[in-house]
Order: sequence, then C-alpha cells, then structure tokens
Amino acid sequence: MRDVAIAGAGIIDFGELFEQSFDEMAEQAFMNAVEDVDHGIEPGEIDAAFFGTLDIANDASSGLGASHSTGLFGIPSSRVENACATGSTAFRQATTAVRAGQADVALVLGAEKMRDSAEGLIEGAALDQVWRGRGVTMPAFFGMRATRHMHQYGTTREQIAKVSVKNHENGAKYPHAHYQFTCSVEDVVEGPQVTYPLNLYDCCPVTDGAAATIVVSEDVVEEYTDDPVWVAGSGLSTDSLLRGDDEALVGFPASTQAASQAYDEAGITAEEIDVAEVHDCFTITELVTYEDLGFCEKGKGGEFIDSGAPELDGETPVNPSGGLLAKGHPIGATGVAQINEIYEQLRGEAGAVQVGNDPEYGLQHNAGIGRNATGSISCVNVLSAERP
Amino acid sequence: MHEPPFVRDRAANERLEAWECGSCGYVTIPERREVCKRCGEYPDWNEVQLAERGTVQSYVVQQRLPDEFETPLPVAVVDIPQQGGGEPARVYGLFTETNPDDVEIGMEAEADFRTMFDIDGLPVNSFKFKRPRGDRL
Ligand SMILES: [Zn+2]
Repeated sequence: MRDVAIAGAGIIDFGELFEQSFDEMAEQAFMNAVEDVDHGIEPGEIDAAFFGTLDIANDASSGLGASHSTGLFGIPSSRVENACATGSTAFRQATTAVRAGQADVALVLGAEKMRDSAEGLIEGAALDQVWRGRGVTMPAFFGMRATRHMHQYGTTREQIAKVSVKNHENGAKYPHAHYQFTCSVEDVVEGPQVTYPLNLYDCCPVTDGAAATIVVSEDVVEEYTDDPVWVAGSGLSTDSLLRGDDEALVGFPASTQAASQAYDEAGITAEEIDVAEVHDCFTITELVTYEDLGFCEKGKGGEFIDSGAPELDGETPVNPSGGLLAKGHPIGATGVAQINEIYEQLRGEAGAVQVGNDPEYGLQHNAGIGRNATGSISCVNVLSAERP
Repeated sequence: MHEPPFVRDRAANERLEAWECGSCGYVTIPERREVCKRCGEYPDWNEVQLAERGTVQSYVVQQRLPDEFETPLPVAVVDIPQQGGGEPARVYGLFTETNPDDVEIGMEAEADFRTMFDIDGLPVNSFKFKRPRGDRL
C-alpha cells in the first residue's frame, strides 16, 4: 500500500451564509484548496472526488454535487454520508482510494447549508419514535453524558463550561470561525438553559460552511509540495448508548475504538498526539472525548481541562480553531475543516492559533448520532509532519 | 404513512414485552432481530415481560422543543428490570407529572400508560415515566 499525503487545503468563512448557494460555497472551498497547493495543480489532474454532505439543503444528492460545484466531470465522484462523521469519513475514503492505487490525486469536499430551512434537525430527531428517543433532541443525547459524568466522577459544571471558554477564546483568533466572541465560565453557567445541564454556550451554533482537501499519493507528491502532511492512521467504529453498555453512559466507546485503530495504524500512542481537532458539538462531548481518545484517564476529563493541557500553549492543545462551539458545525464540512486545521498546524502555518509545542502528530475526530443512538459512529484520523 | 412500525411494535409499546438474548442476556425492546446487537450471536430469543418500574441511569431536562411537547420535559435513560430476573432493558423514558427538580440518578421511575401522539387521528399508546406517588416530595 502506498503512503498518502495532503497537498492542499481550502475553507470558506463559516457563518450564516444566506447570500451563498450550496454550489457557491463548495466551489469557493475547492478553489481555495487548488490555490493552496505549493507548486500549483490543474483541476484536470484530480482523478477522484469524495463528497461529504448530509444534503440538508437538498442540493447535493449524489457525487454529482461535487462535480457540479467544481466542474470535475468524467471522474469517479461519490457522496459519503456518516452522520456528524461525514467529512472525516469522506477524507478516510479518499485516502483509502489513493493508498490502494485507485487514484493519485483525490479531492475531499465537504459542504452543508444548515440555515436555509426553518425546520431544524431538532424536529427530525424528536418525532415519531416511541422507544428510540421520542422527544429526545441533540442536546439531550449528549447531555445524558454530562449528568452521569458529574454523578459518577464528580465532574463539576464549571469544568464542563471551561471547554466553551477555551474554544471561544481560540475561535476569536481564528479567521474562519462563525463566532468571534469570548465568554467566561459565569456566562456559560448562567446562560439560557437549552437542556439541563447544558446551556446556550454549551451548544455549537447552526452554521453554513464548506471545506476542501487535496490528497495525493507518494508517487506524485513532489510535483505538488515540498512540505506535505502525511496520513499516518485512520479508524472508524460504531456503538450505541442503548446496547446495555455502562461505559456508554459516560463516554463514546466508538471513539475509543476508532482512536485505537488509528493509533495502531500510525504505530503511536495517545501520548504522542501534539494537537487535536475533536468533536465538541457540546461542551460535554469534548470533555469526555479527552478520555475516549486517551489524552487522560477515564473520569479525569475535568482535571485535564483544569490543568490547562488542552489550551493553545498546553501540552495537548485541543480545538485551536475554536472547535464546533465557535467555528460552527456545517455537518459535511466539519471533519474536512478539522483535517485542514491539523494540516496547517503541522506545517506551522496556523497563524494566531498556531500551537506552541512544535507538533509532529495531529489528530482529527468526529462522533455522531444515527437512529437515535448517541455516539453511534466515530471517525479518527491521525496526521504526521514526517512520512510514516 | 408511519403506521407499520407502530403495528409491528404494539406488544412492546403497549404491554412492555421484550426479547432476551439466549446467548448473552441482552434485552432488546421494541425490536427483535435474529442477530443480537451486543454479542453478535444468532441466539434463541426468549420473550420476557418487563416490570412497570425502572431505575434512572442518567437524565436531562429539555427546555426547547417543537410546540407539541410540553416543556420543561425530563428525559432519562431508564433500566427496566425483567419480571423474574435477568438483565434489565435500557430505554429512553419521557417523564410526565414529575417536577424536573425531583429527577435524579438512581431514582425509581414508574411506567405510566399514555397516548404518546396520534397519526391521522389514531392514537399511538405507550409508556411515559413518573416519580412513584409514594416517593413524591
Ligand atoms: Zn447476545
């Protein structure tokens, strides 16, 4: 199998993009990725496209959505959908195709228009399910972990709130973030309640966005860049809160499994991760993810954030881009944007949010819901500054 | 348009009938499949009757929901024991007639038969949960 590297990354400013169509967002992210390639690239050199979207706006029901917005017709193009892990799974599929020799240059494109319709995901999640979560919304699925984590490990409300404070502080420095404000622990804890124990600033915003990544094989990488970021490992797994698994009450076993697969493939341990972009759809999600990914022991997520380790200048900076909480969560684009941020971090090009520990290994993680089972899908990708 | 699932699941929804894996003891409700979702075996499935009281494992209180829901709405993960022993079934439980401040992990929750919603005027009945009467503060 061949080694695979990232040669270009593009993103648009995330936000309420009512003036932009789905195709315009995707096209701009694609053009930004093309322009980012150090030695240049002709779109005709791209020989496969992997398109991540949940197609919430109904503009992108197949791989044609990627072809139409980029002009890349006549090559294999497929849509990838994996709940909130859609973008990271599209990246995984693209790297797998390049590894296997099906393509030398592959495009990963993620896009989602979340704001065009008044009907939210909240409606779809909540209706017409008797046992599988009738009336259970996204904050509830994740909030269940918060209540239980506080009960079982003594995690405090303030520790959970610190995730939001940290990520908004980072997001205020990150140019593409939807939200650019900072907040205090008091702001989070005393904010309007959405679903006890989670308040407004514990929740990510509803955001439009798009991002694109160009991955290439070892055989052609030198044509495109002298400073590639390599794909070291990847993992993908599934689980459910309702399988009678007590671990799932306080974490997401699928994340632990996906991380384990990715670490094994990369030949590293969690201690070697120098920077991470993880799924913080809600504050509690990031806090338990520290534990699921092995950044700290089970139950110690509160202590981990108290220690400052996940801050920009900490030992294991997490979500330098502001995460989903500040940057936003346009579902298909989310994982691709996270990959792009790790790519910039490992190249030392992350600007005001560049982490301070000269990172060698970076990790990207998403966890999502399917069939009303929380954390039912999780994807982890590990990138490396050096060739694996 | 959504009727077939509710017809299939009536025994589970209306009588708390569940299925126990003959291999690992996992209890599934409402659906019964040939393969066990926990152990992956293709076991014999035993029909079991669940009790009408369960234990709250975790919970939240929802404040923002579509209009047809009353808020604040406590929702819990509830383990419901089998009558006659074995592992409990784990379900999401919506609460009714319960002060949200009274919900806590470890409390008993009593299953209460209700109309959950209707489809084209036909009621879909199942169980909500409430704090047992004797335990109310
Ligand atoms: Zn079993």
